[in-house]
Amino acid sequence: MKLRKWQSGVANGLMTLYALVTLYPLFWLFVSAFKSNDEFYSRPFGLPTTWHWDSFKRAWTVSDMGTSMYNSVIVTAVSLVVMLAVGALAAYVLSRFQFRGKLLVMGVFLLGMLIPIHSTLVPLFIVMNKIHLLNTYGALIFPYAAFELPIAIFIIQAYMNTFPKEIEEAALIDGSGYWGIFRRMMLPLAAPAIATVSILAVLRFWNDFAFALVFISKPALKTLPLSLSMFATGYMTDYQLTMAALALAVIPTIIIYLIFQKSIMQGMVAGAVKG
Amino acid sequence: MTSAGRARAFIAAGLLPALLLFVFFVIIPIVWSAYYGFFDWKGIGQPKFIGMDNFAEVVRDPIFWRSFKNNMLIVVASVFGQVPIALILSLLLVRNSWLHRFIRSSVFMPMVLSSVVVGIIWGYIYHPQIGILNFLLDSVGLGSWKRLWLSDPDISMYSLMVPIIWNYIGPYLIMFLAALKNIPSDMDDAALLDGAQGARKLFSLTLPMIWDTIKVAVVLCISGSLKAFDLIYVMTGGGPAHSTELLASYMYNNTFAIYRFGYGSAVSTMIILLSLLLIAGSQYLMKKEYR
Repeated sequence: MKLRKWQSGVANGLMTLYALVTLYPLFWLFVSAFKSNDEFYSRPFGLPTTWHWDSFKRAWTVSDMGTSMYNSVIVTAVSLVVMLAVGALAAYVLSRFQFRGKLLVMGVFLLGMLIPIHSTLVPLFIVMNKIHLLNTYGALIFPYAAFELPIAIFIIQAYMNTFPKEIEEAALIDGSGYWGIFRRMMLPLAAPAIATVSILAVLRFWNDFAFALVFISKPALKTLPLSLSMFATGYMTDYQLTMAALALAVIPTIIIYLIFQKSIMQGMVAGAVKG
Repeated sequence: MTSAGRARAFIAAGLLPALLLFVFFVIIPIVWSAYYGFFDWKGIGQPKFIGMDNFAEVVRDPIFWRSFKNNMLIVVASVFGQVPIALILSLLLVRNSWLHRFIRSSVFMPMVLSSVVVGIIWGYIYHPQIGILNFLLDSVGLGSWKRLWLSDPDISMYSLMVPIIWNYIGPYLIMFLAALKNIPSDMDDAALLDGAQGARKLFSLTLPMIWDTIKVAVVLCISGSLKAFDLIYVMTGGGPAHSTELLASYMYNNTFAIYRFGYGSAVSTMIILLSLLLIAGSQYLMKKEYR
């Protein structure tokens, strides 16, 4: 829309206000983390009179955040590797080969994207129980990887579809097998798509709450969101501590967001629209 | 091996791991749960076949339908909250200036936060004694507007909609921005020559041009509403008195709190059927053209 100068000024002002309101809860979280419990409710909007850096240290120890951070890192990293290894290979096959049943395979993955993830909690719990995977890293790694597969495959496949056919033909004549082409040619060429998929997956795995809530009850295996939710319930009145724990927990995601904003935005939209 | 045989072997080896992982952890559990829906089962011991009893109980349970209604309320809030806000922002955020980039990033930011963190923060905002919302109302002299935002069953569901809308505007905004960018610029010029400007141009050119994207956004609102479990679980757990129960929390509370796996399986199956119906229905409705 073409706007007059004063109109666009008003619009910018209103939008800036809206953006600040959107950011406020997060800002408030970080400021509150530095306050004492008294100040937390006597002056909820003010800045802290003394900045309590020690809350962070205390929150880290009291909530045993080292353990849950470690668990989250392991689960996220392994799920990502499993998902990428399996997904990129399938994307390569679906993008470059014609075969009977191809539509069926793609249909199966598409169907999986239509199913609301939470409706699978009970059935998955039953399966995990049967194969004795409850309360192991595997209880999270396999479902994470499996549920992220369709989006990953579709994004990587769509990217690979744009490569010209000739590049592999030349490689085949050179005597490379399909595995060689996949490893030495397709993977590096598809790196941008793989990067997008990875960032989205990392955010999804890192933030997941529902699966961890249902499949993990051992304290030693709790991931970050799960242990935060427990911590917040248990220390509900120690606001200073809770706020510090929350602040520590969001720092990694905010850093990832600030670095990879553009691919996160585009990737999330692509993933959502495909689903 | 012939080269065709080698290709076939590679296709099989390439697809098998993905298919196995996906079928085993996504498809089979769903089929299995449809099956367990016909049993009375506490999670241990022998499941007892009871036919359609679980499904009949689900359909007769008013709380199930209340949860369904709450899910629909979220759909309505998304369609009439997220979509218009995102649309207005996208129409105004036309430039690539740092201010517009900043606004875009801020609006999208809640998407990357853990919903547990978002839920706890909003829980504090709404808190009856220490919450900043009631504090704010007090300090501007609107103390009479103070409410028990999350523990009054009459308003708790509406209180929850604010963070839900707040959280998920970003993707719609990015979708609309991309769609607006795709409108060819010569159409702009043509509209200018015809003297179509302002509101007329908006309704006769811009909106019809991005109508397909708006349709997609509405469909996303429907499938997205089924994902709101985390926030609700952290903020209210479905209470008070089931006033904020969603289909997913209803299923959770009926399965893991009281160990009724047969019943929970029946609920899961119902949720899957309902959501597929909703998605199919919305796709059909949205086929109608914009005039």
